[in-house]
Amino acid sequence: MARGRAGAASPAGTPGGWWLGALLLLGGVVLVAVSPLIGPVPIPVESSLGIVAHGPGPVSSPNACPGIHVSTNQCRIWAEIVWQARIPAMLLALAAGAILGLSGATLQGVFRNSLADPYLLGLSTGAAVGAAVLFVLDVDVAQAGFALPAFAFLGGLIPGLVIFAVGRIARRSAETLVLTGVALGAVFSSLLATFLLYSPVADLQVSFWLLGGMSDASWTHDALLFGVLLAVGGTLSLLGRELNLLQLGEDVAQSVGVPVQRVTLTLVLLTTVGTAAAVAFTGVIGFVGLVSPHIVRRVVGPDYRRVVPLAGLVGAAFLLLAWDIAQTALPPIVLPVGIPTAFVGAPFFLYLLYRRRSVAGAPA
Amino acid sequence: MNDPGPPGLTVTGLTVRYRAVTALHQVTLRVRPGEVLALAGPNGSGKSSFVRAVVGLAPVAEGQIEFGGRPLETLSLEERARTIAWMPQEEPVGDNIPIREYVLYGRYPHSPRFAPVRDSDRAIADRVLAELGFTDRAEVGVQELSGGERQRVRLGRVLVQETPVLLLDEPTAHLDMGHQLDILERVRRLAHAEGRAVVAALHDLNLAARYADRVVVLHRGRIVADGLPSSVLSPALLRDVWGVVADLRTDPRTGLPYLIPRLPGAELRLSAAPPFRRVHVIGGGGSATPLLRALTSEGHRVTLGVVSLFDSDAETAKELDVPAVAEVPFAPLSEESRAKNRDLLAEAEVVVVAPFPVGPGNLPVLDDVLEVAGRVPTYLVETPSTIARDFTGGSGASRLAALRRKSRVVADARELVRALAVSAPAGDAETHHS
Repeated sequence: MARGRAGAASPAGTPGGWWLGALLLLGGVVLVAVSPLIGPVPIPVESSLGIVAHGPGPVSSPNACPGIHVSTNQCRIWAEIVWQARIPAMLLALAAGAILGLSGATLQGVFRNSLADPYLLGLSTGAAVGAAVLFVLDVDVAQAGFALPAFAFLGGLIPGLVIFAVGRIARRSAETLVLTGVALGAVFSSLLATFLLYSPVADLQVSFWLLGGMSDASWTHDALLFGVLLAVGGTLSLLGRELNLLQLGEDVAQSVGVPVQRVTLTLVLLTTVGTAAAVAFTGVIGFVGLVSPHIVRRVVGPDYRRVVPLAGLVGAAFLLLAWDIAQTALPPIVLPVGIPTAFVGAPFFLYLLYRRRSVAGAPA
Repeated sequence: MNDPGPPGLTVTGLTVRYRAVTALHQVTLRVRPGEVLALAGPNGSGKSSFVRAVVGLAPVAEGQIEFGGRPLETLSLEERARTIAWMPQEEPVGDNIPIREYVLYGRYPHSPRFAPVRDSDRAIADRVLAELGFTDRAEVGVQELSGGERQRVRLGRVLVQETPVLLLDEPTAHLDMGHQLDILERVRRLAHAEGRAVVAALHDLNLAARYADRVVVLHRGRIVADGLPSSVLSPALLRDVWGVVADLRTDPRTGLPYLIPRLPGAELRLSAAPPFRRVHVIGGGGSATPLLRALTSEGHRVTLGVVSLFDSDAETAKELDVPAVAEVPFAPLSEESRAKNRDLLAEAEVVVVAPFPVGPGNLPVLDDVLEVAGRVPTYLVETPSTIARDFTGGSGASRLAALRRKSRVVADARELVRALAVSAPAGDAETHHS
């Protein structure tokens, strides 16, 4: 089906699309298999595999760490690292990436804007401000416990709720809502800068947090975030038809029976909650939400019934890849995960801009 | 529908207001099942407001919209979408989804929430696609279609909705002639065959006359005409509502009326319309042709003075329905023709002398013109190339000189039309030179 204008996504994806899809799937499986073997603490691959095979239970002999002669204690520490740090971090990356991918696809559909994502709408910046409040109050992150994710979550809710309220009370168009989000993002950015100037000590902590990471992962966090993913992702994936109809304009959508206002606000609310939860545990991670839907569209075409759930899968794989790169690029340092995502995401963003220019007139 | 109310769409006293602007005043209208109603009117007359109000997208200030006796505001969005389908004038192209998927969007109000598309819905979509000739191309993306094909696919989406009422806002906008006829013919056949009530906002009155069972004309938000195309369409309506002067003809094949707008002058009419006048033109040799066209376009009642039967001026007069006094070619002027011409001169409110070459046969006619020139405003059209136009050895030139003193000299048709537009009505002699 290559009769389309150059660059315009053809209805069923590109002929090479399914290869790309297969490649992505294979890549995802490989990533999940490899991630427990990767980390700042060097553990022999064979031992890591042995520990994974041993399961999360208590280690009672060094037999759990094959391939190398180590003490039971050493093996126990390694098992602790694999089961309490590496695997929870991997799961956190998967869940957060999935939520960001789903949210990006949804927001692009709601606002009919291929550049929309949680970051553009100020959702991520709101969470950062929430976290910064905590740092300014001089609470040590290590002692903060659930205070940090809670503050970040509340901060992230604010822009989404304002957009929701504007849409609900003032009954404004999607375009006004997206511009409201952009303006709120700017306000939050300047708030953040003010906080950081006021409290230089907070600067370093916030900066690190701003670029995101899975280092604070725990099974509790994972359980919470997977719960959010299930609820938010499940609902978002069910609203693909409505998203498809919104692409014909709000008036046409309403004329065939879509409750436009209600659907728009539901979707904004769900993505807000999802993003705020993800950002609360991982810090601000850009580009995953922007890039994942575009990758999916190239593979399966523009139908939101498929784009939304698959953008979740791609987002999960993308963030896990970025996390693995962050841990292995400059050992023993663990880079903030925002660095590799931006390194992949920014060039892709430029590619999209270039592609839009080259097919001027054809909506991307 | 087993409701007791009248079948079809009933709109009573509909008033639509956008803040301070009232777009529609007290519009009452009923469309029966199987009826194609054309909604006509100039830009801003309220056609789209009417359509949008019925779809539920424009604010209804007053009035009632009912289908089969049920007020539309009591219906849920989905019930409404199962009753009325709307094809807007324009909509975003959207994503490049396959035609079949696009058309299936029309099944939204019929299918259960959160469920995959049912086979019965697919069957309906496929049937409509077959009717529209897209069976082989159902998987092609909508962005890959031409303008006419896309319009047809949009119609498909609306038809798949399977509603008893169809609202089509300018369904033929941006289409070439063939596609305009194609779309309207389909709509008409469908309405008649399946008993659907169709309201189509149409700019083109000739298309409206041809395809609609009934024409309703809106002007400044009010209904100014409602009835059969043959009874509604008239030059007077076009002049009053659109500010356009037009001829009404009858299509010899269909017997339906069609209007031919006169091209120039529409903007003049829209500003300060001067009264139409009886203008008698003395012409010949094709010299009067541009004058006849310009004067009739302006709406004046024009007659033409003695010309040869096969003269191009005579042909033009026939074409424009201008009564003309014609003489057998190369014959001297007969008394009969001269008398007819004198009659027309006597009835005329304005006399125009075209820049024809003056031969011996023209001399008596010029004498007759000189006679009335003192009483009736007279215009002499003289272009630099026709100053030396006397072929009578001086007697023609002397008459033209006398005429020049008694009339106003203009250079061409444009100047003549402008002079008539600013001059006072007939009977007033102030405009011509003494």
